[in-house]
Amino acid sequence: MQMLHVFRNTPHGREELLQTAQFCKTMQASPVVYIPEFTKFLLYLDNDVVQVDLDKTFLRSPGTAREHVEEIMAEMDVDNWRFFVPRHFSTPFLPDVPVGFHFMGCPHTIADLRSKAGAGYIGPRIRRILASAAFPLLLFSPVFKPFTRIAVMFGGKANAATALRLAVRLHRLSGLPISMYTAEEGRRSRKYYEKLLSKNALTGVFAQSVSDWQIFPRKEFVENLYRIPHDALVVMGAYGHGTIRQLLMGSTVEIIQAHLPNNLLIAGPHYRGLA
Amino acid sequence: MAFFSRIKQWLGRIFPQGPAGEDRLLLILFGAVVGICSGLAAVALNTSLHGMESFFGQYRYNWWSFLLPGIGAALSSIFLEKIIREGAGHGVPEVIYSVSRHGGLLRMRSTFSRLVSSSLTIGSGGSAGPEAPVVMSGSAIGANIAKAFSLNERHRIALVGCGSAGAVAGIFNAPIAGLVFTIEVIVGEWTALHIVPVAVASVSGAQISRILQGNQIPFTHLHFDVDVITTVAAAGLAVVTAGACILLTRMMRTSHQLAGKVPVPLWTRAAMGGMAVGIIGLFLPQVLGEGYHVIREMVEGSFGGGFSMVLILMLAKILATSLTLGWGGSGGIFAPCLVIGSFAGLMFHRGVDAVLPGFLSVNEGAFALLGMAGMISGMLQAPLTGIFLIVEVTGGYETILPLILVSVISSTVSHAFEPSSFYFRDLVEKGHYLRPRTDAKVLADLRVSEVLEKDCASVPKNMLLGDFLKVVQQSRRNYFPVIDENTGEFAGMIHLDDIRPYLFDNLLHDTVFLEQIMAADTETVDIDDELSDALDWMDASGAYSMPVVSNRRFVGMVSKATLLDRYRKELMLQTTE
Repeated sequence: MQMLHVFRNTPHGREELLQTAQFCKTMQASPVVYIPEFTKFLLYLDNDVVQVDLDKTFLRSPGTAREHVEEIMAEMDVDNWRFFVPRHFSTPFLPDVPVGFHFMGCPHTIADLRSKAGAGYIGPRIRRILASAAFPLLLFSPVFKPFTRIAVMFGGKANAATALRLAVRLHRLSGLPISMYTAEEGRRSRKYYEKLLSKNALTGVFAQSVSDWQIFPRKEFVENLYRIPHDALVVMGAYGHGTIRQLLMGSTVEIIQAHLPNNLLIAGPHYRGLA
Repeated sequence: MAFFSRIKQWLGRIFPQGPAGEDRLLLILFGAVVGICSGLAAVALNTSLHGMESFFGQYRYNWWSFLLPGIGAALSSIFLEKIIREGAGHGVPEVIYSVSRHGGLLRMRSTFSRLVSSSLTIGSGGSAGPEAPVVMSGSAIGANIAKAFSLNERHRIALVGCGSAGAVAGIFNAPIAGLVFTIEVIVGEWTALHIVPVAVASVSGAQISRILQGNQIPFTHLHFDVDVITTVAAAGLAVVTAGACILLTRMMRTSHQLAGKVPVPLWTRAAMGGMAVGIIGLFLPQVLGEGYHVIREMVEGSFGGGFSMVLILMLAKILATSLTLGWGGSGGIFAPCLVIGSFAGLMFHRGVDAVLPGFLSVNEGAFALLGMAGMISGMLQAPLTGIFLIVEVTGGYETILPLILVSVISSTVSHAFEPSSFYFRDLVEKGHYLRPRTDAKVLADLRVSEVLEKDCASVPKNMLLGDFLKVVQQSRRNYFPVIDENTGEFAGMIHLDDIRPYLFDNLLHDTVFLEQIMAADTETVDIDDELSDALDWMDASGAYSMPVVSNRRFVGMVSKATLLDRYRKELMLQTTE
């Protein structure tokens, strides 16, 4: 398994790479580090092409960038990593980055150039990557804090089962315990979600892998996010709502990102599962 | 998507012959829609271009007017780089690249970005044409409509072609040229799947243009009495136009390389190129802008100046085009080619007339037409596009015989000196020119991971030879990857043929480790390498298979046998409509 990481040679970039390194080390994946030479690149996904615009911090101090990556990887004791150098360009200043990775680390500035901090705002580009990508995106925390458990958001929507499957796969790779969190929607009770597990043939997997399941009312969703441990990797599915609904109502991903400083791993509707 | 499925179901009820029929009908439907949108884009570009020309035109007679093309090019570059963040190229090569490598995926912003930027460049006096930008725009419209309806890759490419055809048809009011250009240059595949929707889009684009701008041909239709002497002389003109094509291609390349070495921002570079064009324009205003009015004069036979003047103008136009496009202005080469070609035709006629007075009975306007066809055919190396474009934009069929001759000879001579056309050159050099049903395309569509043989038993490098023999007994393979058990990295290969001498010496079984007898210098293929590269390496080394690594770890083998099997399947897939 490989994870694409777009590196920037700044203190923020260091935090992001530390998170990628820990994620990859824990999940037995290989980081593939891209040091951009241009402030944009293209991701040709299955049915969409997304231009990722970076800010100029990604081009800072190119002379020391490789050295810093090597230092961080050595510090984190990650040895199965490599640099990625683009081979194809759509125009002379616009490299194509392949999409055959299993994960992609998503710095906040990819979300939107205006939201440097990024908290609580998942920009249209991330939405578009999520909408078409076959790999999950790891949204970084502002600072590196190693995660020691997995928290999966099982929302009862179509992609919730995908999120649980992804969490279980990560649990098997890392041995980290899984806690599951469900915000009850409407009159849906625990039984509804148990049926959903059964319908998706996840009952057995749930019993074997999930150590703790907490259900709370949807209207107290934000308050209950406090239950999610500070050192958990939060795994969830993106449901692929339309743009208008996203704009009018926001999304669960948006709310979670606004209130949780944890690492957030999001699988989109086209996520095909890990090999 | 529900809408799309409903249309499909509806068509399925009307045409129960099967999905192929439904797909074609759907493509025709989509082709018409894309053609209309592209035609509208062409009209919008024409309108904005005229608006820009009027705006900048009022300042044209000031002493500082040489600054105008620089200002226009700088604004165009700022718009593309800073506002739209397009990362712009010439347009058409990007469409071809997208069709070749990424199934025709194009960004939404490309639907309008070049329309604005090329209006600024050309309207301010830059020497470029509006055709490539509108092709880019039309193609992006097609690609994004295909994306919105989640069409598959082949259908998406067909709609990209529809966009291109509708755009060319709309901007020139030339439906056949739109169709032929798209099939010959953009799609590169003469199949019914493409021709039918592209033809419909071409008609739609031209019709929209006619409704909104009137059924006008860009250049006056004149009757020319073409005789056998003219037809034969066309062969000579073809050599001249081919020479102009080669000169323009090389000057564009040199200009681009030179601009790349100037350490200033892209917009400053574009401004410098534009100002240089402005300075040329102070002395030779005919080189400014798209230059259609100059062509009209030449076709009508009312263009003044002698042989030397026309030669100077032709060279100046080549220089101005190189400076505009090579230094970062936005636009295409169609219009400059038409102007340069008509200069070449005029020059040829006047040259022949000076040496052999009265030899050419036909008016020099006919040679201006022939020159345009020769130049377009040579530059694009697409003779059919040259022929049909000139027939349609001049509304005349009388010159068809010399047109065909000049087009085919010009493209052939150009090809002899410049093996790839202006549009294809960079793509060919980078290995991105992948035409459907070709070896390169089939290989590019396959990945190393798709032909990976994973049933290979790897062995640790500190394994004893005796233990290794037990592994060999249970394996059907005759080669074994050796792994460094400490790092997990690939260490080398053992091929049974290479170690045969050791196998039958029992004394060695308990004393020799695999590390001592393995081939440590084995070349490997990375999982992310191109399959064509892997095949080249195998050919060069005479190997039938190679180990594949990912992050220096062995992941499997790639062999010519498996590759051939997958190659055939992919080829069948690509050649089945």
